Amino acid sequence: MTAAKAAAFGASDKLTFLLSLVPYLMDHDRVSVTAVADHFGVTPERVRDAVNLIAMSGVPGETRQYLHGDLFDIQWDEFETNDNIVLTHLVAIDDSPRFSAREAAALIAGLQYLSALPENGDRDAIATLMAKLTRSSTGAPSQLAVSRTDADVAISVIQAAVRAGTQVEFDYLNARGTDEHRCVDPLRIESVDSDWYLRGWCHLREAMRTFRLDRMSNLRSTDVPADSHDDGVILPDTLFQGSADDLTVTIELPAAALELLADYAPVPHGPAAAEGLSRAEVRVSHFHGLKRLVSGLAGVVTVLDPGPARQTVADWAAAGAARYESAAHSEPAAGAPH
Amino acid sequence: MSPTPEQPHPVTVEERLFSLVLALIATQIGLTKADILSTVQGYRQRFRVGGDNASLERQFERDKDDIRELGIPLETIESQGDPGSNHHLRYRIPKGLYDLPADIAFSPDEIMLLKLAAAVWREGSLSAESRRALTKLNSLGIDSSDPVIGYAPSLRAREASFEPLGKAMDRGQVVAFLYLKPGESAPRRRVIAPLAVVLHEGRWHLYGADQDAGANRTFLLARIVGPVVTVPGRTIAPAEDGQGERALAELDALWQAQVALITVEPGSDAAVRLSKRGEPGPAEDSVELHYTDVNILADELAGYGPEVYVFSPPTLIDAVLDRLRRVRDSHAPLPETPRPEAAR
Repeated sequence: MTAAKAAAFGASDKLTFLLSLVPYLMDHDRVSVTAVADHFGVTPERVRDAVNLIAMSGVPGETRQYLHGDLFDIQWDEFETNDNIVLTHLVAIDDSPRFSAREAAALIAGLQYLSALPENGDRDAIATLMAKLTRSSTGAPSQLAVSRTDADVAISVIQAAVRAGTQVEFDYLNARGTDEHRCVDPLRIESVDSDWYLRGWCHLREAMRTFRLDRMSNLRSTDVPADSHDDGVILPDTLFQGSADDLTVTIELPAAALELLADYAPVPHGPAAAEGLSRAEVRVSHFHGLKRLVSGLAGVVTVLDPGPARQTVADWAAAGAARYESAAHSEPAAGAPH
Repeated sequence: MSPTPEQPHPVTVEERLFSLVLALIATQIGLTKADILSTVQGYRQRFRVGGDNASLERQFERDKDDIRELGIPLETIESQGDPGSNHHLRYRIPKGLYDLPADIAFSPDEIMLLKLAAAVWREGSLSAESRRALTKLNSLGIDSSDPVIGYAPSLRAREASFEPLGKAMDRGQVVAFLYLKPGESAPRRRVIAPLAVVLHEGRWHLYGADQDAGANRTFLLARIVGPVVTVPGRTIAPAEDGQGERALAELDALWQAQVALITVEPGSDAAVRLSKRGEPGPAEDSVELHYTDVNILADELAGYGPEVYVFSPPTLIDAVLDRLRRVRDSHAPLPETPRPEAAR
């Protein structure tokens, strides 16, 4: 979950804001700068800058001189004294702009993803909304589609518990292979593509923890009220946080493959001996997650050191391969396909 | 309070673009490039009468592209008496095509849903597109219903090819890229007219018309190696509706048709996770898993090491075993030589 920073507010964003602010102000006879900022989710300074620019803008006009009547106008006293905006003269535009094909496509694909989830079961409403977006865009929205997936029932159970403010209980098999019973105050349910995570306060560990839904068994909601975590404990923005006890591992991989490990925040560590490869350091809490990760990226990532990490990976893959090499034909016949 | 036009002040990019949009909406018959450069705020300050305005003209060309990218319908009209002449082209933005259709309205519930849909894109170019779409929605002045608390679904598209493919689709361009087909060792150049980009089983796929094969093909974005370049002079008509659905239907059919039979070690990570995803097989601890790409499933299953044993199909057995051997062999103990880094 690195690089989750919002992109900078560039000239395209500013232009979009100017073109959107005008029709909004037209529909609101007198509105405070802070109300506009709240509605658009921007800072009051950005609103003031935009209003200053709009009030001095217009069209060249007959004289091509940008004379007073060719410009937008506002009640300057209201603006400068009371921080209120009153638009008194309009030029050229008076309506909201259409979406670009790409903007509509981004929202439509987002809706397709949401429509598979239990919270948004109303398919008809979503289909109507997608049709509206298509009609509201300049040019056909580009073809961006998201497949429907069978949503995990656990999602609805946890969501109901988040809303009700009650604890959930489940058995959790962690990456080390330990199965433990957990009681958790659920705070948020998150997804990244097709993987779902519960984030909440774990009463066993007495700390904020992130749990994969597909590692849970016997999930059930309880009547026990969740503790309040409004004060003090902050839920970090990133799914995974490092800890001081983490181990540093040096790996070798093609530079282009660094993206595959973005969740582990690899730190590039210079070129490797072999051409086209580079080295990076990743921090892991133990080698058991590492062996699964590296074995799933065969031929891409190699662990260099420390030695025990390299050995753990080698043993894991060797044990897997041994099942086919030694005992391929002695497996119970019941398991063979018919 | 109005600015005195004679007194130049530094004109920001957004002021120049805003002024250009206003001027082009206000005109019925359109403005020529000379009109624009000599009169519109942000250009006129730099315009030299009778002089060389080449850099200003290039600026205008870029601004035009930027404005169109935002979904603003900037039109070019050829002069009737002088077709083909660049000097007499006129530019305008028809207000009827610029304005959101008058009969479009959104309810507070719909606004809430659209905000959630926009928040799905937390990174990458689509996150910026979504943000601009929300700004436009906000201009309607509709307040959203209360958002769903504690709920943050997200999608990401980290493949470098995602953005250039999207742009090429919007512009109807044909692209070329190197593609490492699963199971092959060397990438091959493909020339494709992109029709749709779809997410299926957690992976992004490109669906497009293969210009060499003369048929539609599906590609995994993760296996596009190197840059996506546009093929100059080759454009196609915008794809018909439903290409995304068609691509997904093909992938679904493939997924349905291909099934692997595996057993999982009881109580292991593989047992907990794969049993949830697949269906129970004929024997105890056996699982049937559908898949679209044997190599991708092999990558995943190899990660489970000895927790998974593949029974069928044979291609999957070979692919998993090959991966496990490669990992095992590439992690043989290193010779005990002092490493330069360690000496520091």
